[in-house]
Amino acid sequence: MTPRERMNNAMHLKAVDRVPVMCQLSIGHYFLNSGLDPLEIWFTSEGFAEALIRMREKYSFDGILINLPGRDPNYSNFIERIEKNEDGSIVHWRNGNYTTVPKDDNPHYYQNDGSRYFPTFEEIKPEELFYIEPWDLTDITYPYTWGFEKEPRPFDNFFPDYHLDTIRIIKKRIGNEYSVHSEVFSPWSQFLELLNYENALMAIMDDPKKVKACLESLTLGAIDLGKRQAKEEVDAVLISSAFAGAGLISREHYQEFVLPYEKKIVEGIQREFEIPVYTHTCGSIGDRLDLMMDTGTNGIDTLDPPPLGTVELEEAKKILGEKVFIKGNIDPVNTLLNSDEQNITKDVEWRLNIGKPNGGFILSSACSIAPYTPPKNIELLKNLAEKYGTYNK
Amino acid sequence: MIEELLKELSTAVIDGNKDKSLEITNKLLELGLSAKEILDNGLLPGMDVVGVRFRDNIIFVPQVLISARAMKTSLAILEPLLSKSDLRGSGTIVIGTVKGDIHDIGKNIVAMMLRSSGFSVIDLGIDTKVEKFLEAIKNEQADIIGMSALLTTTMGYMKTVIERLKSEQINIKTMIGGAPISKAFADQINADGYAKNASDAVKLAKQLMGIALREE
Repeated sequence: MTPRERMNNAMHLKAVDRVPVMCQLSIGHYFLNSGLDPLEIWFTSEGFAEALIRMREKYSFDGILINLPGRDPNYSNFIERIEKNEDGSIVHWRNGNYTTVPKDDNPHYYQNDGSRYFPTFEEIKPEELFYIEPWDLTDITYPYTWGFEKEPRPFDNFFPDYHLDTIRIIKKRIGNEYSVHSEVFSPWSQFLELLNYENALMAIMDDPKKVKACLESLTLGAIDLGKRQAKEEVDAVLISSAFAGAGLISREHYQEFVLPYEKKIVEGIQREFEIPVYTHTCGSIGDRLDLMMDTGTNGIDTLDPPPLGTVELEEAKKILGEKVFIKGNIDPVNTLLNSDEQNITKDVEWRLNIGKPNGGFILSSACSIAPYTPPKNIELLKNLAEKYGTYNK
Repeated sequence: MIEELLKELSTAVIDGNKDKSLEITNKLLELGLSAKEILDNGLLPGMDVVGVRFRDNIIFVPQVLISARAMKTSLAILEPLLSKSDLRGSGTIVIGTVKGDIHDIGKNIVAMMLRSSGFSVIDLGIDTKVEKFLEAIKNEQADIIGMSALLTTTMGYMKTVIERLKSEQINIKTMIGGAPISKAFADQINADGYAKNASDAVKLAKQLMGIALREE
């Protein structure tokens, strides 16, 4: 069984030879451990693809999640100068703005006065929204423009062709053997990124009707992007929905502002492509696993255990098992970052014993692997899956 | 009538109705009530209810945010009328997200809940360096420093700040919080306390100030 077959079978709740292993790594972890320059990883499709491939190989993962958009190949035309310092680099752009690129964390784009731009809720027109890419080179813009482009693109040709370049490179190089997953942002996440979190959260209390109109528009873009990724033959699409847990919103607000739109994304992609669409929501989601399943999702990623979140794997397995696949739920901080081989082994064995029966389980860190997680701790995972996660033939 | 209006003010804060909150605050001032009385008997009791409901998962962040906004709207007209000691309330807390970290929603909610519990809060924002913490602590004669971090890469900076406080012999209580933070980590870096959420942060701040906790 190839890693790709193993992952595909697990995602379709079919028989596998062993529990597959696939974690999402933080960008900082790629910066620190891939041997590539952070600038190359962040600013080029080729650099990020190379980092993803190297780290998959290092950790023997069965698949790769491509969680940055492809980059404009002409991005360097907009650079004025690059300044190096002890924390990393600062890229100064010709427009006067700059991007800080830490050596161990996600870069951020700032206006020349050091602020980040966010439009107000009042100035947003729902009909002008289509998709918000939080990791675009020039951060949030409104009306939305890509990178240093001056004009918004028409919705029927919204995504620049280079957006899919990283997927294309990875599919070409390792796509036959390994499972390749792409990512779209939940309309709820896009909305929070667009307005900044507090303003977005207050907007749902101030004018829920307008918020819903915005979410409807952002859903169309997410479906369009997901279908474009599916056309490139990714094996699954992940809906990144980090802000939908109980740490921020109630079950009722989840039902109102998250569920209907993520459901439309799943249906919209699967109307044309027979690939799994699954959901990544961080933190406290133990009280809403049933609602997450109502989106029609094929799998739930993360499932942060206490104390980071509220998901007990036994409970989750009872609710989700045999209906959707589970990808998780090793504590990335208290276990993988801060613990030792003995404790990691004990923790992973315990999770495999719960997750493995009847299949549909992918061993993974709950949220992303932290930048300074010792690589030897992650290398353990595949060995442990082979030791404790195999199925009898 | 005044009693009734104070109750209405609390309700306006609980409901997050900033227009109503402002209107009643102005009316109470016209009736001759002092800013301190309006704060203590109208706004703070409202935010107390919000705090309890938030702790008990009856309401969530959006509701807390609009309640805090309503209180802030009223406070904007009361603050110039309050004396320095009125503003100092239960104590002064300097709070910030540590250097390298730009996440602030958790820290902002903690700051709001602390203000609503009678603390004077000096919010230093995000990406806060140790020098900025030290300057604010000295200028404001702060009783507590609160530090927040969402990232595993930045949580280590809390230790840098605590060690610097020690080396400069600044006597101040330290409390920390954020998604990757735990009690064990707080003990490891010699923080005086760790709070899992905003409600716990208020409880902890009161404990650190030696304020008796009310049974709720």
